[in-house]
Amino acid sequence: MAHVLDHAAVDAGFHLKQTEVHGMAQRGGAISAFVRMSEGPVLSDLIPEGQARAVLSVEPLESLRYTKLLHPEGWVVTDVTPLRNIASYPDLSALFEVLFRLPHLVAVDATKLALKSGAMKAQNMVVLGAASSLLPLPAALLEKHVRALFAPKGERLVNANLAAFRMGQAAGAMTAELVRRGVSQAAAARVVPRLDFEAAPVPDRVVAAWTERLRKPDGAAVAAHVLASVDMLPLEATVAATMR
Amino acid sequence: MYQEILLGDEAVARGAIDAGLSAAYAYPGTPATEIYETIDAYAKAHRLPLRRLWSTNEKVALEEGVGVSYSGKRALVSMKHVGLNVAADPFMNVAVAGAHGGLVVAVADDPSMHSSQNEQDSRYFADFAQVPCLEPSNQQECYDFTRQAFDLSEKVGLPVLLRLVTRLAHSRAAVTLGERRAENEASPCPDPGLYTLIPVNARRAYAGLLDKQEALREWSQDHPANALTLAGAGQPGILVSGLAFNYLAEVLGPRLAEHNVLRIGAYPLPVEKIRRLIEGSREVWFLEEGYPFIERYVSALGLFRERPLRGRMTGDLPRAGELSPDVVKRAFGVPGAPSLTVPGLEQVMAPRPPRLCDACPHTDAYAALKEVLAELGPATRVMGDIGCYALGYLPPHQTIHSCLCMGSSIGMAIGAAHAGLRPSMCVIGDGTFTHSGMAPLLDAAHADIDIKVFILDNSIVGMTGGQPTMATDEDLVNLVAGLGVKPEHIRVITPVPQKHAENVGVIREELAHHGLSVIVARRACVTFARTIKELERERKAARR
Repeated sequence: MAHVLDHAAVDAGFHLKQTEVHGMAQRGGAISAFVRMSEGPVLSDLIPEGQARAVLSVEPLESLRYTKLLHPEGWVVTDVTPLRNIASYPDLSALFEVLFRLPHLVAVDATKLALKSGAMKAQNMVVLGAASSLLPLPAALLEKHVRALFAPKGERLVNANLAAFRMGQAAGAMTAELVRRGVSQAAAARVVPRLDFEAAPVPDRVVAAWTERLRKPDGAAVAAHVLASVDMLPLEATVAATMR
Repeated sequence: MYQEILLGDEAVARGAIDAGLSAAYAYPGTPATEIYETIDAYAKAHRLPLRRLWSTNEKVALEEGVGVSYSGKRALVSMKHVGLNVAADPFMNVAVAGAHGGLVVAVADDPSMHSSQNEQDSRYFADFAQVPCLEPSNQQECYDFTRQAFDLSEKVGLPVLLRLVTRLAHSRAAVTLGERRAENEASPCPDPGLYTLIPVNARRAYAGLLDKQEALREWSQDHPANALTLAGAGQPGILVSGLAFNYLAEVLGPRLAEHNVLRIGAYPLPVEKIRRLIEGSREVWFLEEGYPFIERYVSALGLFRERPLRGRMTGDLPRAGELSPDVVKRAFGVPGAPSLTVPGLEQVMAPRPPRLCDACPHTDAYAALKEVLAELGPATRVMGDIGCYALGYLPPHQTIHSCLCMGSSIGMAIGAAHAGLRPSMCVIGDGTFTHSGMAPLLDAAHADIDIKVFILDNSIVGMTGGQPTMATDEDLVNLVAGLGVKPEHIRVITPVPQKHAENVGVIREELAHHGLSVIVARRACVTFARTIKELERERKAARR
């Protein structure tokens, strides 16, 4: 994710600094990178507390680890698939309770969508796509650098990662649109991770159908019901989701 | 002239190559590892005739670099901060002998010890050896200062220390690169007496080193990285070195212009500029990324009373740990920005400490050792060493009880045995063993000391990202035998769950033997499996 952001930022004429961790800090999987881009020179490599615009994560517990750096109006964009490699991993419903209460959240099942795209490891591209509307970088520019990153690995992987990016983009856009049309953040965040996105924007009539359904008085219950679904739901499942 | 997005480490590597580098030597260590890896990758990709090695250890790496410098060509030697401890002997002595071809020692410190046992500050070593030091504050300076360092080294005839820190080594920014300079021609040093440090020569060479100090002070005084900006008499003053400047400038913003500021990036210290800063300021802050090295000098250990001096030693900044924008904000009374509050976060935020990878061979080796330890009682101690297997200290393994420095496990086990702690055991990896475990094993073999040495042979130097190991598989066993360990007490076990009972049996057998035993737990690292196969292919091809 950092590689694509770095190169897109410099391509767009921004100044950039991006830190990462190596060595002992990598064992166990909790890796982090800080990306700072600006029209003027960037001084500190580290992000001061309260000044991060977004946290992008491929793991839900990790997505909450750096909230001290987040601006109060900052966004969390994360995969919902847990990596339970510690004995003390919290109960998933307790974790989701905290996660879905965030004021600005895009939650997506990046793991399932990556599998669908044909590149199992493309969760990060799904998350990047889901965050793309929050960035001061045009999507076309991000896609250009996704292409460049995977080009040495062949056309199939390029296309798979682009598909993953676009599915994430669709998820991010839908979350923003639902909220803009009056659906609660909490409801939108619960529904989006269970939808089977295509590598294309969600049609307006589908967004409208979900908006109408979720704005009804039982909208929160419908959202909880959708989140509890084991399988991914087709986009048009507004009726199916409520047939109970 | 063109731009690339580079880590601080990568910028150093490219600076060295563009300075006409002929050779690069290093030992892996976070946060310096990427310097050598970048040189290696670039030289491969561009088919440069650059000689280079992952050396057995940092001392050897520096000695190899000195050999290149002696012969008139340019060499870069890179390591992490504690690696300089290992290389201290040649470092102190090449300062006396001098550099012929440019010799740059790039050392990456680790404030807040993200991946290290301590946060020692390499500027002390440059000061100790009386050689110049350059300390970049951003990625562009990493490139520029490295190029400069080679020219300086040849001009003054001394090795130059280039000092990095983690947050610069592992941070990326766009860097403008220049034209590559040609390598030097080979030419042996004109005065070999300077390198032959028997006392009569050493005195002459040392006098030469002392004579160079005046020129170094002048160089430092005029260096643009040591920039004094006076806002006005009586204004508050700030002395800031290296990366710390970025945090200061960002936190104070336009308020910085109200201060007298001395930026330092080149050592020896520019004493005259420091004097002007102090005389022009009502108080002086010291912001250094690392130890309060400059602060201690200037404050004369707290004896200086003419002005209030504020820094780590006075408690105005935290005594330990890296700086950050938030640390600097607190020090200067700039309010921190509010951040998102997340109700219920504390209840779910479980720590995710570093752990061994799934299917790691060390897990099975530790399982066997743990079962034996349970039989031996709670006073039994196992000396550990540096590598992924150092995580054996943590649950669920809890099988090692020390990790001091590279190769220390074997010597400590010898000491513990001599002190009467029995049985005395130690755990060391194949990489660490060749780095500095051979010498103490020779001690143990020479007197057949009753210690049990577990060598965890996973065929790679793992924690630092998968670098080649010097001896593995049968080569490792032959090396151990060559050091004098009795062949019947060199045991090879396979750390897999299916062989757990058998492995425990082998350990018990060797515990019953009252003499030196070496037990090699042999299974390739799973995370670097592909690298290991490639290295094995290369090794076989080279030996044909």
